[in-house]
Parts: sequence; structure tokens; C-alpha cells
Amino acid sequence: MANISKKVSWSGRGDDRGERTPLLNGAEDGKYNRHDIVRSRPKEIPHNAKLLSLKYESLDYDNSENQLFLEEERRMSHMGFRCLETRRWVICGLIGFLTGLIACLIDIAVEKLAGYKYSAVKQNIEKFTEFGGLSISLILWAVLNSAFVMVGAIAVAFFEPIAAGSGIPQIKCYLNGVKIPRVVRLKTLAIKVFGVICSVAGGLAVGKEGPMIHSGAVVAAGVSQGRSTSLKKDFKIFEYFRRDTEKRDFVSAGAAAGVSAAFGAPVGGVLFSLEEGASFWNQMLTWRIFFASMISTFTLNFFLSIYHGKPGELSSPGLINFGRFDGDSVQYNLYEIPLFIIMGALGGVLGALFNVINYWLTIFRIRYIHRPCLQVMEAMLVAAVTATVSFAMIYFSNDCQPLGQDNTEEYSLQLFCADGEYNSMATAFFNTPERSVRSLFHNPPGSYNPLTLGVFTLAYFVLAVWTYGLTVSAGVFIPSLLIGAAWGRLFGILLSTITSSQSIWADPGKYALIGAAAQLGGIVRMTLSLTVILVEATGSVTYGFPIMLVLITAKIVGDYFIEGLYDVHIKLQSVPFLHWEAPPTSHWLTAREVMSSPVTCFNRVEKVGRIVDVLSNTSTNHNGFPVVAHTTENDEPGKICGLILRSQLIVLLKHKVFVERASSRLSHRKLQLKDFRDAYPRFPPIQSIHVSQDERECMMDLTEFMNPTPYTVPQETSLPRVFKLFRALGLRHLVVVDNENGVVGLVTRKDLARYHLGKDGLEELHLAQT
Amino acid sequence: MELLTRLTFVSACLFAEWAVTFIAVANCSSSPSEMNGDSALKLPSADIPVAQKSTLGSFYSLSLSSTFPEDLEVNEYCTELLRIYGQRYVTFANCLVTYARPVRVCQNCYTGFNSLEDIYKNISFDKSAPGNVSCHDSLMRSDRLMLLYTLFIKLDEIWTSAECKQCLNEDQDALSNDTLYFMATLNQSLSCFEQYQRNHTELCKDCKTSYKRLNEVYGRMEKNQMLCIDLEDAMNMTQHLWSKNFRCLLPREETVPVIAVSSFMLFLPIIFYLSSFLHSEQKKRKLIHPKRVKSSSSLMNIQDKFS
Repeated sequence: MANISKKVSWSGRGDDRGERTPLLNGAEDGKYNRHDIVRSRPKEIPHNAKLLSLKYESLDYDNSENQLFLEEERRMSHMGFRCLETRRWVICGLIGFLTGLIACLIDIAVEKLAGYKYSAVKQNIEKFTEFGGLSISLILWAVLNSAFVMVGAIAVAFFEPIAAGSGIPQIKCYLNGVKIPRVVRLKTLAIKVFGVICSVAGGLAVGKEGPMIHSGAVVAAGVSQGRSTSLKKDFKIFEYFRRDTEKRDFVSAGAAAGVSAAFGAPVGGVLFSLEEGASFWNQMLTWRIFFASMISTFTLNFFLSIYHGKPGELSSPGLINFGRFDGDSVQYNLYEIPLFIIMGALGGVLGALFNVINYWLTIFRIRYIHRPCLQVMEAMLVAAVTATVSFAMIYFSNDCQPLGQDNTEEYSLQLFCADGEYNSMATAFFNTPERSVRSLFHNPPGSYNPLTLGVFTLAYFVLAVWTYGLTVSAGVFIPSLLIGAAWGRLFGILLSTITSSQSIWADPGKYALIGAAAQLGGIVRMTLSLTVILVEATGSVTYGFPIMLVLITAKIVGDYFIEGLYDVHIKLQSVPFLHWEAPPTSHWLTAREVMSSPVTCFNRVEKVGRIVDVLSNTSTNHNGFPVVAHTTENDEPGKICGLILRSQLIVLLKHKVFVERASSRLSHRKLQLKDFRDAYPRFPPIQSIHVSQDERECMMDLTEFMNPTPYTVPQETSLPRVFKLFRALGLRHLVVVDNENGVVGLVTRKDLARYHLGKDGLEELHLAQT
Repeated sequence: MELLTRLTFVSACLFAEWAVTFIAVANCSSSPSEMNGDSALKLPSADIPVAQKSTLGSFYSLSLSSTFPEDLEVNEYCTELLRIYGQRYVTFANCLVTYARPVRVCQNCYTGFNSLEDIYKNISFDKSAPGNVSCHDSLMRSDRLMLLYTLFIKLDEIWTSAECKQCLNEDQDALSNDTLYFMATLNQSLSCFEQYQRNHTELCKDCKTSYKRLNEVYGRMEKNQMLCIDLEDAMNMTQHLWSKNFRCLLPREETVPVIAVSSFMLFLPIIFYLSSFLHSEQKKRKLIHPKRVKSSSSLMNIQDKFS
């Protein structure tokens, strides 16, 4: 990025409070001076949400239409373009297939591991219920949980920290155009899959759905490139797609395939990509993404049907299966709509509470628990406490329910209940979270008593807030659904006791579903895609309307307090994320104030020495350089004639494309676009390129390689206008020119992302090194 | 004349079946169906158009007034089958009702079911019947009601959902050995219960072995899918006796150790967070000032100096 200056220990004008910084503070500098002198290191502040990190860069979505590109296009036949299109379809099919396979793997592994764990603990508990020594069962459960989680946390913390969490914030950023280091590597995928198996089997309050989205995205990024740099293997296929624009399209298909596999919701997956990432959308791409989603659900179904011994049966939906809602008892009526809206509001409030607590917890984690071993310890502690809390709840619960005819609980615990009955708290706690969700949705009325549900909601809420943000890979969908389902069911039960008539409208399963939707909507604040996902996962279109109402209400209420969980985490990661719109009330800001200036420019024909010097200057890390017609040493800005990227320059230096060499050795192969693609995406650093003293004196002609038509704006353009251009076209650099087309500044992502609307109007985020 | 008696007989049979199903239905469902039946019987025929009269009445009047040509009539052989079917049906339905509570249907009615099934199969697979029309077609598929079929299917459904087949041996003609063994164990427990009727604490102690064995046998049979409704019901009642009537519950004795271990576990994270708050070095971020036009004059000079 071009807006980075040096790390100077400079203490003149600091505003080190880190918190709100009113934008118009230029005149108040003096006020802080004495203050700053007292505090000797004013440039260092504790981590907070109002920073932009330097380590994130933009992706190059803008196609560089240089001469090489034109040549390649000219060479390519009509047939060639057809082939490309076919290849895109093949890749999408592969993405869907592999994502489905991964989902299948996760599902089976979790089921097996959790099965072993629960049956071991169950046997132990049964043994000790009779003869005494239940505290040993408790310890056994805690130790088993911690052991699983420890393995997963070690893998994440020591090998690939980016695999922590659900991965949805990261994918959201990626689709937004931010290059998150290592986020779409094969290694990340491996750690992610392994980690999520461990953490779900370890009994944490997590789900395996969020990570599926990340996994799908990694699969897509890997497949579409036809090679893996982690494995150092190049299959020499799909070389045309080795650039950010193409890759992004496939990544959005991968994310959609992930959603689709996770929830059995192909349309929801497509809409998720649309809602979260697609600033760049076209009809053919949508169709391809839908194809990938469908293939992914299909693959998952197919392999799960084989696993369950019914090969060829394709109707089992995604990873989470909400079960079908049908029958008369789950009808809803007009007079229930206000109740649903109330539940939506409740979900919004609870979701906001969840996010606020998690926000402070995450800040604490970033500031104090940043060493990997501490992170592993924390995860283990959470796992142990989760087991303890669950055990205590089960132990002290007096809620016994008769075993049903079609008993769905695989690990029902009797404990101190009468024979032929089971402990109803155990169905909620002594189970993988998604099974608990399902029993909350579908168990017949009267399976839970209100006290059990209330206590469970409270305990699980605390556990889920505490768990999200640990250094384990885990999603937040299922815990949210579970919390919501619990209080939703409670709501339903209370309703039927209040009205005292045994009317059908108080079927608790229905309210559990609405509660789950409200809670999830209140936490993640997704709208369109979440509605469709839930509708698809429950398999009943009838619920579309109430679910939509609930999600709208939850979002409105929740947004009043705090943003969605993913946005909170994106902010805490200091990612320069561009929202859909520029912040309101920013029209008075012009490009002149927003841009970075002065700009490092190159001449059309530039000396190699200067290029090497500029590139290897560690304090600046510019990525794009306007190419000007002629720079004079005086202040007169040169006229723009193109834009060249760091990556291109490095490839040029590596191949030593110098003017002198071209004239002396005619046999020298002409550089093609392929050479640029081969280096993608990890271009070698400038330090690895050796340029001799003689070569430093050579000249390099950039005309052929630069983008001859970069986007430019005049200095007086307003911020929203710049923003719109940037967001809609996916730009990385936007050159600001004066009346004579002279380069006066450069706008990049971080220049735009730093403005946001705070409590006191427009605020500016700080750039920081993280 | 012969035809007439035959028809009368058929309708009598039908009536018997109807009555039997009526009893069976009345047992499961509550009074409304009974009410319907009564009102149907009491309908005054004069006020009602012919079509709405009870089926029975219209049948009689029809049969008196007209006959069908010979080839459309049900032949003698089939009528005989029909009669047997009716008898067996009555027997079986009667048995079901008799042993409905406590459930003993599998033990007592399997012979009835088997014979009913036999005759039903006879009718449905009968091809060798004299005449052109098989009994299957003439008895079962001639009208939209398909009474014989529906009646049998209903009872068959009951039999299937009771899972009686799992309690019988392979030929379905006797109770399986496991079932007999289970019943023997059950009787032991019950007689033990009888013995200690007065003193429940004694009962819980002394009958525990036999009760436990019963549980084990039941658990094993459950795993092998050898349970039917009789056994399930018997076991349910016994468990209810044991837990609810005699209150032989496990005591909750270990509250203190469980609380101790739990609070220790809950205490650990507090220590962890406190210690990391106090001892871990807080992560600081270095702020960086971007190049801007606004403050270019002062900023640039300083930067130049340092670069």
C-alpha cells in the first residue's frame, strides 16, 4: 500500500489515547504536547478496535490491460474462450465435490469421536451412580474434553493461527478485497478441519458449520489455481485463473458450497456469497456458484448415504439437520405474528449482549493472552469448565422425563431418575450441540420443564460467549441456535401456561425454531441469506415469513446497540474493511484530504537502480506506482500515463527486462503474461533478487507492462464518490490528479477504510503495526 | 331361493364383521364413534332418502327386490371362504379386545392372527377357484369399499406395530424361548415383590438381585430386538412399581465431592485470567502516521530527517 510512512519515533502531534479521535483536531495539537512529554512512549497504545493494521493489503481486482494482455487476447482463438468457460464449470464442480467430501469427513469423524467419548463417560457415570464416586466421572469427562481440545488448540495456536474461529470474518474480508495472509492455503484447511473435529468432539459450545465455509473457500482457491504452494506441487492446469479476479470468483463459489454443505441449503449458500462478498456479481457467475452449491450438497448426501448404509438415498440434508417441521401442531396463525416480533426483539437484545461481552473478552485476549501456550491453556480450561458446568447441571437437575417410544437421544442418562425415565437436562448437555438443537425443536411438548430450560439457557449463553474467540477452530452458528432454541422453547411453554388453554398455537417446538432464528440473527446480523438458510434447513417454506420478520426485528434491535459479531471481530483484527457505503455525512471530505501524498512515481523509462531502491526501502511498502511521463526534480507533478504494481516490477527485475539487454541480445525470449501468473500469488521479495552494480545503471522500459489506463479522479471528488468507485470496481489504487493530469496523490483502501461514523460524528482510525 | 338365503347369510356375516370392528374401534377411540353408530342405527327410515339409509337396510331391500345374473354373483366356494374369514376375524378381534389391558395380545392372540392371515392369503392368492372370476377379484376388488382388504389391513397394522413377531418363534406358532425366559424372570421379581409388600426398604434390598436380573434380560432382548408390546408393557409396569410405588431410588449422596470438584474447576479460569492479566505483558501497537497533504509541511520535514 502506498500510504505508509516510516516508523519514526516522533512525539510532536501524537494523539495516543487510542479512543475516539475527532477528525478536525488539527488545531488542537498544542493541547497534548505537555501530556505527551510526560509519557515517554506516546506512539504505543494498547490494542483496540479503532486501528487499521498494516499487514493487510488489497487484492488486485482491477485487470491490468497492458500490452501483454492485449497480445494474449489476440492470440487466443474463439475456441480458447469456450474452453475457458468450460474449465470454469469443471472447477466449480470440483469445488462442490471436494467441499462436500470434507463436510462428510468432518461429520463422520465428529460423530465417531463424540460417540466414543460419550459412551465412555456414560458407562462410567452409570457405574458410579450405583456405587458412589461420581466426582471421578466428572473429572474423567473434564479430562477427556480438555484432551481433545488441547490437541485441536495446539494445532491451531502453533501451526496456523489464522485457522482459529469460524473463518467467516476472514472470508468476508477476502471477498471484500482484503488479502489476509495465509487464509486460503492448504495448510490452513488441514488445520481447520482437524481443529474443528477436535473442538466439537471436545464438547465445547461450538458448531462445525462456520468452519465449513472457510474450508469451502480454501478448496476453491486451491482447486482453481491447479497447484498448492504448501505442497510445492504444480499440476500445470488452470493457469489462466492465476490472478485475484478469477480466484475471488471461485472463492465465493467455495464459500457458497461450504454453506450449502453445512446447512443443506444450496440457495442459502448462493445468497450468502451474494450478501457477504459479492460486490462484483453477474448472472453467469451466480449460476456457476449455484452449481457448485448443489454439487456440494449432493456429494455430501451421497457419501453420507453410503456411510449410513443406504447408498443412493439422496435426501439427507446438510451437516446440521433440523429435522422436518410438519404436521398440524406447527402451523402458525396471524395472531402469533406479534409474538414472533417480540421474540425477534428479544433475540436482538440478547445477541447484542452476546456481542458486547464477547467484544470485551476478545480485547482482553488480544492484549494479554497472545502467547500460543497461554491460548492453548485457555482453551483447555474452557473445555474443562464446560464439562464441569454440564455435569453439575445434570447432577442437580430433578427433571426426569419418561423415555419416549421413539427415543432419539443416543446417550440418555438416567442418573437418579426412576427406572424408565431419563434426566432431561442431560439431553441438552450430554450431547453434541446439534443433537441438542434437534431435540429442542422436535421433542414433544412436556419433554422439558421450564426451570431446566431457563438454567440451561443461562449456562449455555455464558459458555458460548466465553468460547467464541478461543484459539480453536469453531463456529458460532450452532451455539446461537441452541441458546435461542432453549429460550424460545421456554417462551412457548410459558405462553401455554399463561393462556392455560391447550390450544395448538403454543407448540413449543415452533417457538424453539423462532427463538433460534432470533438469537442467531441477533448475533450475526445476517439477513437475506440467513432467512433462506433457515428455511432450507427446516425444509418448510411456510416459516419463511415469520423467520424473515424475526430476523429483521433482531437486526434492527441489535444494531441499535452494537454491530454483528463478525463485524466486531473484523474491527478487532484491524482489517481495512470497506462497507457497502461510505460513512454518511462525509461529503465534505474531498479526495485531496483523503489521499496519501506525495506519491512515489516512476518514469516511463526508469533506471533499474532507482526501482530497486524504492522497492527495497523497508520503511515504505508501496505496492502501486503511477508511471509519469517525465518527473522533474522540482515540485511540478508529472503527467500520469500508467500504473505499475510492485509484483510486476519484481517479475521484470527477475527476468532482467532491461532496455540494454533487449537491444544487445535479440534472441531473448519476450516476456509473456504467463510469467507474471507463474509467480502469483506469492511473489518473491525484493531482497531475493540480485541486481549487480552494472545492472543498476541499466534502464527499464515500463510502457509495455504498466496498466496504461488507470482510474483517476480530480482532487475535488468527494469521499463518497471515491468510495463508490473503489467499492464497485474493486480498485486497489486510485490516482488523484490535478487539472493538468499531474499525479498529486494516491487513494488506497486504508485511506478510505479509516473513516467511520462514531458517537461524535466522523472519526478516523489509526494506522498501526500489528 | 338358494340365492336369497346365500345373500342373507352374506349380509349377516357382514353385519357381524361390522359389529366386531365397531367393538374394536370403540375400544381405542372414545365415545363419539359410539354416538355415530347409535344414531345411524336409530335413524327413522321414512324421513331419509334411500341413499342415506344405513347400508344394512338398503342391502336387505335390494336383495329382496332384484337379483343379478348368474355370472356376476359370488360363487359358492368364495362364499365359504368369506364365512371362514368372518369367523376368524371375530375370534381374533375379540381376543385383541379381551387382552388389551394389561397388554397380553401377543401371548394370547397369535393363533388367531395366524389363522386370519391364512384365510386372507387364501382369498387373495386363490387362482384355482372354479369359475371364471377368482375369489380375490369377486370378494375384494369389486367395490370401492374393499371391505375385506381394509379390515384385514387395519388389524395387520395393529399386529405389526405391536411387534408381536419378535416375541414368537420362527414359525410364528409359539412364544420364543427368550420370551418365556423373560416371563419366568418377571414372575420371580413379582413374587419377590409380593413377599415384601409390607416393608419397602426390605423390598428394595432383597428384591434387588432379581429385579436387576430382569433388567439385564430386558436390556439384552432390547439390543437383539426381541421385544414386543407385551414385554415392554410388563417391564414398564414393573419399573413403575419399583421406582414409584416402592420408591427404590438411588440416593444422591455425593453432593459434597461433586461441589468441591466443580468449584475447584470453576476457580481455575479465574486464577488463569488474573495471572495472565498481572504477569503477561500487554500487547502494544505502534501507531504510524500516514503521509497527508494537510500536514505535509511539518510532517515531511521530520520524515526526511529520519530517512
